[in-house]
Amino acid sequence: MKPFVRRSHLLVPVLDREKVETSWTHNADSVILDLTGIESEDDRSRARSLVKESIRHASRGGAHVFVLPNKALARADIEASVCPGLKGIVYPGAETSADIEEADSILSELETGRGIASGVLQIIALIDSGTGVWNIREIVTASPRVCSSGLDELNLCRNMGIIPYADFDPFVYAKGRIVVETRAAKVQPIGISHPYGVLPQFDDADEIYQLALRGKNLGFAGAICPDPSWVVQCNTAFAPPADRLEFFRETRRLFAEGVARGTAAVPYPGTTMMIDVPVDENARVNLELWELCAAREAEKAKAIEKQESTMA
Amino acid sequence: MPINNPRFVDRSWTRDCDYLNFDLEDSVPQSQKDYARSQVRHAIVQGQKGAAEINIRINCAYPDADVPAAVWPGVKQINFPKAETGAQIRHLDALITELERVRGIRSGTVRIGATVETTLGVANSYEIASASPRIDAFGGGTGYDMSMDMGIEMFVGFDQFVYNRGEGELIALALGLEREGGVFMSDTTGNVGNAELSIKRAEASRKAGLRTGGGLHPNVVAPQNLGLTPTVNEVEDAHRVLSFFAELDQRGETEGDMDGRIVDKYEAARAEELIEWASLCAHRDAEKSAAREQTAAELDEQN
Repeated sequence: MKPFVRRSHLLVPVLDREKVETSWTHNADSVILDLTGIESEDDRSRARSLVKESIRHASRGGAHVFVLPNKALARADIEASVCPGLKGIVYPGAETSADIEEADSILSELETGRGIASGVLQIIALIDSGTGVWNIREIVTASPRVCSSGLDELNLCRNMGIIPYADFDPFVYAKGRIVVETRAAKVQPIGISHPYGVLPQFDDADEIYQLALRGKNLGFAGAICPDPSWVVQCNTAFAPPADRLEFFRETRRLFAEGVARGTAAVPYPGTTMMIDVPVDENARVNLELWELCAAREAEKAKAIEKQESTMA
Repeated sequence: MPINNPRFVDRSWTRDCDYLNFDLEDSVPQSQKDYARSQVRHAIVQGQKGAAEINIRINCAYPDADVPAAVWPGVKQINFPKAETGAQIRHLDALITELERVRGIRSGTVRIGATVETTLGVANSYEIASASPRIDAFGGGTGYDMSMDMGIEMFVGFDQFVYNRGEGELIALALGLEREGGVFMSDTTGNVGNAELSIKRAEASRKAGLRTGGGLHPNVVAPQNLGLTPTVNEVEDAHRVLSFFAELDQRGETEGDMDGRIVDKYEAARAEELIEWASLCAHRDAEKSAAREQTAAELDEQN
């Protein structure tokens, strides 16, 4: 899978039409249209009938649009969703490779039937059980469609009988395991730092930013945003820090000079830091990610510009 | 330390290190790899002047070129960085086995230090740690390479490697290996020569049952030796615990109160272990000290 930038995944209930229609205005890298939590059969049918139109709304700002189906009704929900413009699905409560293989098979069938290039639809695997955490390796390697994986912390609490509590993170091990196994499979881990995974808040921009940044520094590449207030903070926190770019460039320059002189252990002037291969590589990786983030921003800006000129 | 830097290598014996890790990997530029390989035997001689154990860190990408350059009499361990699979370790083991045979080194005595520095390595820790009987110690993956693979910035003030460390230590225990690593201490500077932090970390690590340390700067050698060695007070206390427990035993009792704390067979075993470790540390210090004195005397004679 080509490298991609999805720092923010804005979650929007399909039946909340106002939120759907404005979803493209928040500058999210991705929008997830939520088909879960719908009680009545009538509402479910209505939601399914609205998905394709919702995908058009959500993608107007250049966001990658995903649909979150009900696990028990996955086939019907996915059938209602797959159309050109959809980036993929979020698979809720993945527990084994068989779950992902089944979703893969449904997507393959629908790609063929609906004129979509084979294999392009992606899967974000959400984990909400101890079984899923334990089987994370087989889940993220079950299909080349799996692009990201993360914990559904609230449902994981329910399934494990945990009462969410701000002072204590019950998922240190689970998050560590998700990050390590997901990255080892070259898939992006998504998540935010405690306590927002279990007790999300929406009115303190700085706290949102700090917890997203802490999430990044635990190894996550982006987060699911239950509210638009998280989007900008996540876009900033999950990108390399702008104030470190010059440092990264200078690191690369000094190291290249050192190597030319015959040393690969180069002191960084004015600090106690030594630059060696991993430090130089870290600078390279950050500069590359910065470029990718800039390209993603340009892509979204172009889409918004196009929308605005169409609307004018 | 970079083996291609004679300034570092030639003074290595003066540092009072229990072991020296001569580097053929990341601190050596690509253009100097061949030269670095040619310096191993010189480095062994230099390092042994201070009775340090000699480790050589090879490149994971070039085991076939590095191992023949690194395995010589006097080398205690080959460090294999960025270990990701059991197959890599088995290949390394086979190379070492052959070199032990042709270079007159007792079979099976050169150890392998497998260092986990990527998420794939953490994921495959068990197969790595169990891939060769030459591995007698193992720990979880931390550090710059790991940070890069995890997409994180280091030195942000909280423990980012809890899972990695936990996996490594559990696997070491499950396989009966010595645990390696260090207790997390908040560090927002990344100063490799921070002696104060180094001693705190070493003391905490020892209390967490760890016995080894490592570093990139001579400033941290003495703090680590000190922090990882039981103090005189701790040794005296351990002897008191053993005497108290012996008295209990004579009375047919299994536990008792000594100055407000319970002493039982577990406390007694811990005291015994501490005394044994302190004695090993003292023996090692005496060994190094004697070697340095002898080297200094020889140098005086030459001058």
